[in-house]
Amino acid sequence: MIAFRVEEWRAWAPGVATEQEWQAWARSPCVLPDHQQQPECLSLPPMQRRRLSRLARMTMEVASPLCGDDEQLPFVFASRHGETTRTFNLLGDVAGEQPLSPTHFGLSVHNAIAGQWSLLRGQRGESVAIAGEADTFEHAMLEASTLLAAGASSVLAVIAEEVPPDAYNGWITDVPFSYAVALRLGRADAATPGTIWQLDLDRQDGDTPPCPWPHALDFLRALQTSTPTLQHAWKKRRWQWQRT
Amino acid sequence: MTTQDPVSAQAALEQEIAQLIIDTLNLEHLTVAEVAVDQPLFGDGLGLDSVDALELALALQKHYAIRIDSDVKASRKHFATVASLAAFVQEQRSACGD
Repeated sequence: MIAFRVEEWRAWAPGVATEQEWQAWARSPCVLPDHQQQPECLSLPPMQRRRLSRLARMTMEVASPLCGDDEQLPFVFASRHGETTRTFNLLGDVAGEQPLSPTHFGLSVHNAIAGQWSLLRGQRGESVAIAGEADTFEHAMLEASTLLAAGASSVLAVIAEEVPPDAYNGWITDVPFSYAVALRLGRADAATPGTIWQLDLDRQDGDTPPCPWPHALDFLRALQTSTPTLQHAWKKRRWQWQRT
Repeated sequence: MTTQDPVSAQAALEQEIAQLIIDTLNLEHLTVAEVAVDQPLFGDGLGLDSVDALELALALQKHYAIRIDSDVKASRKHFATVASLAAFVQEQRSACGD
């Protein structure tokens, strides 16, 4: 069992960014129309902004307000599918025997966004980039917990997914719309404000249906509607969430 | 058939290259008019970096069907400003029998 405190959160999805908008979504979750909108990230200088992909902009947008300018926070970037738009374009160039863009190639690795976060915000601490299955969110929480257990007072975790190019239709089915969720997590025993959550992993033997929403968004929904427990099943894993 | 005035041909090529730089490197905050032909592209000038140099070399090769050698010293000179790039492209095109 692990436990941590959700000190603060931010989230972005097309047309939904403020706390009020997320509360409305939490009360009646729906698929948001995704027309490739992206955060403008106007607080970043244009020369720094120009290499940020849509997924990177979403990440910066939600992570930035949770980290003070004079703060160093360990960073967990989690995405099951990562930069599908960028990699799909690169694959197109490979297939067409075209030279690859050095910028796109260099930024196509899974930890590129964590690297850009580090560069743009002068973050010199640990950062980790993970990809799991539909329960990538829970694995990100596990990763963040290990950082807290290793002594960090707070950890910043971002879960971000972008709707992939059409070619992935039928293959990628767990991204109803693009979204990014940032959680600032603290130790359960610390005297800071926030909600404490426990997370347990059990073996899944029965037929618990998969969660209809991405786990991170379902957690956000629970966070805002004072839901006391959550159950997220995936394959042989059953994640049990409990508010304490 | 009229021959194009070499001065305006040079200016047109410079504008085209400035636009190529803006489009290739996502400098959405700039217009061609804001990129002076003699402004240094790298470092303290426009602020481009080594990845931009690679990206720009690729775009120039594609766009103008020219070859750019990996001679660092020569490249540094050719890639100094929009004006020097335009002169370089012109020279390469002539060499390729354009």
